[in-house]
Amino acid sequence: MVTLTTDVLVIGGGATGAGVAWDASLRGLDVVLVERHDLAQGTSGRFHGMIHSGGRYAVKDPLAARECIAENRILRRIAADCMEDTGGLFVTTPHDDPAFAERFAQGCAQTGVPCEEITPAQALREEPRLHPGISRAFRVPDANIDVWKTVWALAHGAQQHGARILTYHAVTAILRDGDQVLGARVHDQRGGEDLEIRARVTVNATGAWAGRIAELAGIEGVRVFPGRGIMIAMNHRLVNTVVNRCQMPTDGDIIVPIRTVSVIGTTDHHTDDPDDQTVEQREVDQMLDDGEKLVPGFRQARALRVWTGVRPLFEDAKAADTDTRDVTRAHALLDHEQRDAVNGFVTITGGKLTTFRLMAEQTVDAVCRQLGETRACTTASEPLPGSERREHYRLGERLARKEADLNGEQLICECEMVSRQRLEQVIARTGSTDLDDIRRQLRLGMGPCQGGFCIYRATGVLHARDGLGADQADASLMAFLQERWKGVWPVLHGDQLRQARLDEWIFHGVLDVEHLPR
Amino acid sequence: MSRGFRYDAVVIGAGSAGLVAATRLAQAGASVAVLAKGVGCTHLAAGTVDVLGYAPELVSRPLEAVAALTHENPQHPYARIGQQRIGEALRWLQATLDAGPLAPYTYVGDADHNGLHPTALGALRPSALVPSTMAAGERTQLERVCIVGTPALRDFHPSLCAANLSRAGVQARAVSVELELERADMSTLGIARRLEEPRWRAEFCARLTPLLRSEERVGLPAMLGLREPHTVHADLEHRLGRRVFEIPSLPPSVAGMRLYESLRAALRAAGGRLMLGAEVVSHTREDGRLSAVQTGAAGHAASYSADAFVLASGGFASGAIELDSHWATHERVLGLALDGVPAPGEPRFLPDYQAAQPLASVGVAVDAQLRALGASNVYVAGASLPGAVPWREASGEGIAVASGFAVAQTITGGRERHG
Ligand SMILES: Cc1cc2nc3c(=O)[nH]c(=O)nc-3n(C[C@H](O)[C@H](O)[C@H](O)COP(=O)(O)OP(=O)(O)OC[C@H]3O[C@@H](n4cnc5c(N)ncnc54)[C@H](O)[C@@H]3O)c2cc1C
Ligand SMILES: Cc1cc2nc3c(=O)[nH]c(=O)nc-3n(C[C@H](O)[C@H](O)[C@H](O)COP(=O)(O)OP(=O)(O)OC[C@H]3O[C@@H](n4cnc5c(N)ncnc54)[C@H](O)[C@@H]3O)c2cc1C
Repeated sequence: MVTLTTDVLVIGGGATGAGVAWDASLRGLDVVLVERHDLAQGTSGRFHGMIHSGGRYAVKDPLAARECIAENRILRRIAADCMEDTGGLFVTTPHDDPAFAERFAQGCAQTGVPCEEITPAQALREEPRLHPGISRAFRVPDANIDVWKTVWALAHGAQQHGARILTYHAVTAILRDGDQVLGARVHDQRGGEDLEIRARVTVNATGAWAGRIAELAGIEGVRVFPGRGIMIAMNHRLVNTVVNRCQMPTDGDIIVPIRTVSVIGTTDHHTDDPDDQTVEQREVDQMLDDGEKLVPGFRQARALRVWTGVRPLFEDAKAADTDTRDVTRAHALLDHEQRDAVNGFVTITGGKLTTFRLMAEQTVDAVCRQLGETRACTTASEPLPGSERREHYRLGERLARKEADLNGEQLICECEMVSRQRLEQVIARTGSTDLDDIRRQLRLGMGPCQGGFCIYRATGVLHARDGLGADQADASLMAFLQERWKGVWPVLHGDQLRQARLDEWIFHGVLDVEHLPR
Repeated sequence: MSRGFRYDAVVIGAGSAGLVAATRLAQAGASVAVLAKGVGCTHLAAGTVDVLGYAPELVSRPLEAVAALTHENPQHPYARIGQQRIGEALRWLQATLDAGPLAPYTYVGDADHNGLHPTALGALRPSALVPSTMAAGERTQLERVCIVGTPALRDFHPSLCAANLSRAGVQARAVSVELELERADMSTLGIARRLEEPRWRAEFCARLTPLLRSEERVGLPAMLGLREPHTVHADLEHRLGRRVFEIPSLPPSVAGMRLYESLRAALRAAGGRLMLGAEVVSHTREDGRLSAVQTGAAGHAASYSADAFVLASGGFASGAIELDSHWATHERVLGLALDGVPAPGEPRFLPDYQAAQPLASVGVAVDAQLRALGASNVYVAGASLPGAVPWREASGEGIAVASGFAVAQTITGGRERHG
């Protein structure tokens, strides 16, 4: 069996794990990160897409609000290119308790979340589709973030500092000798082999799966209750600002504009399985109804796709013994040396995407403590690769690039403006033959046509790559169609069903994918 | 003020079903108007006339298989059309093309036999009738083939097509020809227009010739001209010294547009009227009959009354049938009852993409004469009909042509002036 040795083994390739890898490698530690799927395919790739201003938590959870605004400011500096500065609004609709607005304004003032009240008329000028009956409106610095771009930037940055990133590698066992964790046994899901990774400290950054990894390490009482929530992407920007209902946080009260779509969310249902991706009909109905409350006519927009994420809600069954110094109400850092007298093991779970950097910082501080070393954290000022210019991306960017070279470049995906050149670069760089991996990097096939046109084209480009057999290209195409269908069918209706029918005609009628040679 | 018009028959929809029905009605001496929001699926489809390709296993003799299919599924449109009329309709279509503006470009084959023709992915797809420009690609004639593309065409990937054909046992390889084009992105339609210029075509052949090997047939995406497909095809075969065939690729469909143009010409020749941009927005019903339909917005409104109406407005793909956000289905043109809708609480779709989807075969409820239930002078044709899953059966144009033909025959009682 192949054995790797390193200072720090990070388990989990979500924002938190990638953040830990970036942080630790900047501090000069040698890092290996393992992720059972592709990067950001857990909760980080299945979330609502927003960088909170903290407004959402200003009344309910002031500590979380403070963390959010502090991190929001930092992320605007270090991950500028991954973010769009949409700004946010909190609006009191006729469905909301009008008294909450005062508490909201106070909460923001107390937690330092910048909040400016504007007139409803002004809010409606800025967002004409909003419910015309809104009575109060507050402007806050919410933003959106392209999480795939972010996690990949973190991973590339870590790699530039020597980290090794192993995707499609699942931890199957934690190596332990007495009270010392020595690393993990890992299964290469694609290559089929097992390898052993020995590390001075192992970081469990597996979010909703953290209880399972802790259990593998023989540690008790790390209970993570996965809370499942759905989000629905509608086919255009119904709003250009993140719009929140001004009320106690509840289901379906935020619409986030991301790239070319708007996303409504979310729900919250307990599940026992972090891999549970159920979408219930009543949840879909609930989201569409909630959308109507913010943006009348919401149901007439095209519902492109629905997905499920699982929140890692942590409860410490050993709370009494815990040193709570590092544990905020927003996330949980478990230093198992202190908690369980097990050395070389740290768990980080819970929290928000907005606070991933802070979580990573505290985690690597704990790692250094266990190693008995002092190494300063620099992630609050070091820009991620690609964000050095500190400019936010703008919606029109891809279009402007295309317009600059209207006839010179071939577009493979019109909806998301993906050129053949960029597709070829990503195929070459990642070496991936999985169209779904490529989709997450480029947003290929994520627009209104849901791959109807671009997927045949992308399969052709993929196949043209040296060494790829038609059987592999076909398999990738079929897997993509299935993967896409998964997110499409539970919300399929209206014009999007019309589109799906055209896609079926293209794939079955014109191309006859069902009867490719076997 | 709305203007009023009167016809013997009004056809709603200008897809192949509507155009066939209207042409047949006009040929039988009826005054006919076609009202259509826009063009139909012809501009997107493969351009072949598939009668029945899978049932669900591969069908080699479609009419025979239709008998078994309709026995098992009496709700299938073919059960109401009948085997014999499918054959008649296809022969009529061939005769119409033979006499049309694109002749000698026509459709070859018959309803009794399927040929297997390559798709742009390199699968082999069963069709009863194919354009004459596609004929040389039939599987039994294919030993060695060179699949030809150009980098400017993102909608056709020759190497993938050839690789899958090889897996299916054809000796296939691919070449890509660099063409001098004004842009990096060309559609098959753009190249079809260029290929109609003799000098450009000669240049294309000059570049392709050195890449070819002896004994190889040449397969190209369906783009061999829009107005003169026969000339372009014959000239390519002559210059390249070998058989050349077209392969359907992503929309827009040049082959489908030729079918549309041919049917439109036949309709005009028979005295029928075609009005595009004429969306039916309301209608008038009297005593279980449709008396008139209205098109257009206020100011441009017009009302069309007729003895008989043909609803050929398509299914979900054209927007004529809709599933709304409260999960209710509607026929949006005339508000007719639908058939095949899953009961409330039953699944509309299944998680497996390849599964038979419950909502797939929804259509307007009809009687044995293809008359809409509840509107005794409305006849239904094409993708509006329930009971089929044409994209899986490979039966789309077959149903459209045969049902359009059949309803015209029912309306005119078999009368015919010529043809
Ligand atoms: C519905 C919903 C909406 C949300 N919206 C927002 C929002 O708008 N803004 C915000 O700030 N936060 C939001 N959050 C919270 C945020 O998404 C999460 O807190 C965050 O993504 C967690 O990141 P993570 O890296 O800790 O976990 P994950 O992204 O889940 O990463 C854990 C990784 O561990 C991997 N893993 C598991 N087991 C193994 C194993 N055995 N071996 C190797 N790898 C393994 C998993 O595959 C996964 O990739 C939302 C959460 C939900 C559920
Ligand atoms: C991408 C694609 C690929 C296909 N591939 C194949 C294939 O390989 N083989 C095959 O056999 N078949 C194929 N087909 C199917 C075939 O084209 C259709 O089944 C057939 O054309 C249906 O024709 P139709 O005339 O019934 O309806 P359509 O072609 O859908 O025409 C509907 C007409 O009704 C009009 N209309 C709709 N609403 C109104 C209104 N309110 N007022 C006025 N007019 C209205 C529309 O504008 C249009 O003119 C394909 C279809 C598509 C979309």
